[in-house]
Amino acid sequence: MEPHNPLTARLPNVPRRRPIVAALVAVLALLAAACGSDSAGTDSAGADSAGAPSDGADGLEFEGVTITVYSGRGEDLISPAFALFEERTGATVEARYGNSAEMALQIDTEGDNSPADVFISQSPGAVGFLNEGGRLGELTSATLDRVPEQYRSSGGNWVGITGRVRVLVYNTDLVDPADLPTSIFDLTQPEFAGRVGVAPSNGSFQDFVTAVRSDIGDDETLAWLAGMADNNSPNYPKNGAILDAVSRGEVEMGLVNHYYLVEALDEDPSLPAANHIFADGDLGSLLIVSAAAVVNTTEQAAAAEALVAFLLSDEAQALHASGEKEYPLVPGVPIPEGLVPLEELAAATIDLEVLAGGLSGTQSLIEQSGVQQ
Amino acid sequence: MAFSSSAPLTIPGRRPTVGGRGALGLRLAAVLIGLLFSAPMIYVVIQNIDLGADLGELLSSSKTWWPLLRSLWLGTTVAGSAAVVGTALAWVLVRTDLPGRRVFRVLAPLPLVFPSFVGAAALISAFATGGLLERVVSTVGIGELPQLRGFWAAWMVLTLFTYPYVFLPVAGRLRHLPRSLEESGRLLGRSPLSVFTSIVFPQIRPAVSAGTLLVFLYTISDFGAVQLLRYDTITRVIFSNQLADRATFFALSLLITVVALTVVSVERALVRGDRPVAGRSSATGLVVPLGRWRWPSFIAVAAVMVFALVGPVASLAHWTQRGIGSGRTSGALAVETSHLFEALTNTVFVSILTALVSVVVVLPVAYLSVRRRSRIGDASNSMIVAGFALPGLVSALSLVFWVLRSPWLGRFYQTLPLLILAYMLHFGAQASRASQVAVAAVGRSHEEAARTLGAGRLRRLMTVELPAMLPGLLAASGLVLLSTMKELPATLFLAPTGFRTLTSEIWASMDNVSYAQAGLESMVLLAASAVLTWVLVIRSADHLD
Repeated sequence: MEPHNPLTARLPNVPRRRPIVAALVAVLALLAAACGSDSAGTDSAGADSAGAPSDGADGLEFEGVTITVYSGRGEDLISPAFALFEERTGATVEARYGNSAEMALQIDTEGDNSPADVFISQSPGAVGFLNEGGRLGELTSATLDRVPEQYRSSGGNWVGITGRVRVLVYNTDLVDPADLPTSIFDLTQPEFAGRVGVAPSNGSFQDFVTAVRSDIGDDETLAWLAGMADNNSPNYPKNGAILDAVSRGEVEMGLVNHYYLVEALDEDPSLPAANHIFADGDLGSLLIVSAAAVVNTTEQAAAAEALVAFLLSDEAQALHASGEKEYPLVPGVPIPEGLVPLEELAAATIDLEVLAGGLSGTQSLIEQSGVQQ
Repeated sequence: MAFSSSAPLTIPGRRPTVGGRGALGLRLAAVLIGLLFSAPMIYVVIQNIDLGADLGELLSSSKTWWPLLRSLWLGTTVAGSAAVVGTALAWVLVRTDLPGRRVFRVLAPLPLVFPSFVGAAALISAFATGGLLERVVSTVGIGELPQLRGFWAAWMVLTLFTYPYVFLPVAGRLRHLPRSLEESGRLLGRSPLSVFTSIVFPQIRPAVSAGTLLVFLYTISDFGAVQLLRYDTITRVIFSNQLADRATFFALSLLITVVALTVVSVERALVRGDRPVAGRSSATGLVVPLGRWRWPSFIAVAAVMVFALVGPVASLAHWTQRGIGSGRTSGALAVETSHLFEALTNTVFVSILTALVSVVVVLPVAYLSVRRRSRIGDASNSMIVAGFALPGLVSALSLVFWVLRSPWLGRFYQTLPLLILAYMLHFGAQASRASQVAVAAVGRSHEEAARTLGAGRLRRLMTVELPAMLPGLLAASGLVLLSTMKELPATLFLAPTGFRTLTSEIWASMDNVSYAQAGLESMVLLAASAVLTWVLVIRSADHLD
């Protein structure tokens, strides 16, 4: 069309604009491509939702079933387990990855039309939020009983799949291990003023506070938080940022989950940082679980629960432990090398069902204490 | 298309009266577009009514006040400095004989593409004790660097990453200013500086103002950078309440919306007085020889690039190199590069499409608002622009809400068209303000001449107006393009399942503490945006000359 454009041809003074024409052609091509891929996407989505458990002529229980998983747990960590499940059952797992809290918010906002069948959360707070909103289905006791009682919800709506320990990560150049505190309650002492980084706006810190509340009650929890606030504990957005700050010496110590350091040391073994686990049974080194749940608006509850149950199989649990440096929660599955035995850690319930005010109770304590600064 | 209905022919030379003009189809389109863009804000209002947050109580609490004031203070100061840096860079790179200006022109818009959670992290680690920068300065005997945190850090980092909002529209405008006035100024013996302040600046003021507004809105919506740099703003309060206290979450989102709408209206009122300067716009602007300022200017420009681009890139490269150096990760990296290509093509594809769609959609509104001075156009435009101040998470949630609640839209949930709609709703502001500048650049005398010659509506549009608007429209699409490339919340919520973008990959790597991977992905993101900026924005603009 470009050589004889009647509009440009007749008006003098207006130069011909090849690039514009070229751009328009490119636009059309792109639009055509977009339409093509859109229709393909819609088609496959239609086929998915029609899928129902077939009889499984070849013995695969969920052949043809698509399970949509919203996973707050990263792809690297959990997709091998999904692949195994697909192989074993014939199901297709369509996983979306994101931030646990944001995904919980998304499922809640989606309401009855949520495409999510299974929700996997790095944080008990996020599953607790959905549970409070009545968005989780009940799991069978066969699934729940795979893990000890303290690692699952009392109402039976979610179950822990792996555990992470809360630790005090410290800079080995700046801190003498002999000076490390034996209890997290020591951190409110003046000698630790300004030296311990925290992430009060992050889910993992909130989970930790929830656990402390269930153990020692709101008043003492608030006192500890206020003590940390009085000590001007520097704030960071999340665990990773605290670890970075500690390893570059910006702050000497920080309260995080244990595995961030394990990951970081893999990339840079020279990092001057180490994890300190508080002494036997101290609340500072709680085990905090990542959790799985079935969303109650699912149309394939059986397959969804089968996936959750599979994550608790010995096979999948061993996978969590080997690849991820996290604690398997099913008794009898060996824990990764280098981690202290589970029995030496404080057992905590982070069960929002048994806590008055749940998550908002935790958040309001954090707000009230002034630790967020 | 709304444009095709022919407008009533007015007597040549008479200006249309102010207010309520424009073809009916155009006005209708503007109303619909305005409604579409206000959907996120309406969602916020609905949630406030639903959850019954007590705004009065929130506002009376110092725990709201201080973070809010910090947000406003940061927004204002960053907007101010980004305006200065962006305008100065645009002028030096477009209108002078600065050495290396062609290369700089490609580099200058790029800092915009750093997702703030990566850009800030990279700069922090460059500045950190034992970081790259310290190693460099220690060789010349400087000891410890100040740590990058608090207000000054947030101000600096955000200025470096947002000045392109000003740079792109201003550079687009500067290229095509009528040269006659400047030439007269020069001939009358005015210094280049005086020509700039008295002749050039008044003509680029709308572009500067448009960009500055975008910087302000972006800054008050930012969470990633301020959090990492530890400056406690209102977005921190919003985010930490996302699950625990949604009444507060939505009440504060509403507060941000109100602030944004106010600022947008004020800006609009300030710029309204400006009229397009009459005079024949030239193909190329006047080039000012810098003389003895040549090298000092070069050093200043290079310094900005060092902080905004070289610093973060060096950090990213360092992360990658460090990771590859250790055994385990190199294996992991090899695996992940297969995702990288897929993420790259996806990112390029959706960003280009979003940039085009956004400019096409907001153009009628910009046209109505600027050329016809229509109130409908103005109102609609305010909706488009103010939405940009909502944190991306809230904006993305609103789409989840609306789409799954409309029976005929539900089936598009988590498909590509809807993802592009989401991007467009969030970044329409950038397309809109830059398009307004573009529309304003069309000399009225030009159009009137064509009209006198009897050219029809469509023909005037195609042959006179569109070509004159193109530099501005390219700047507009350039902004949307770069912003889309780094978008995260809508991508995570609304992309088709399994659809990877570079930014979602970077986010996952950072979340996983795989900095080597994140560094590599970020450098690919940067390289891709450099190529796209060059091909689609700069080269196209050169072709227009």
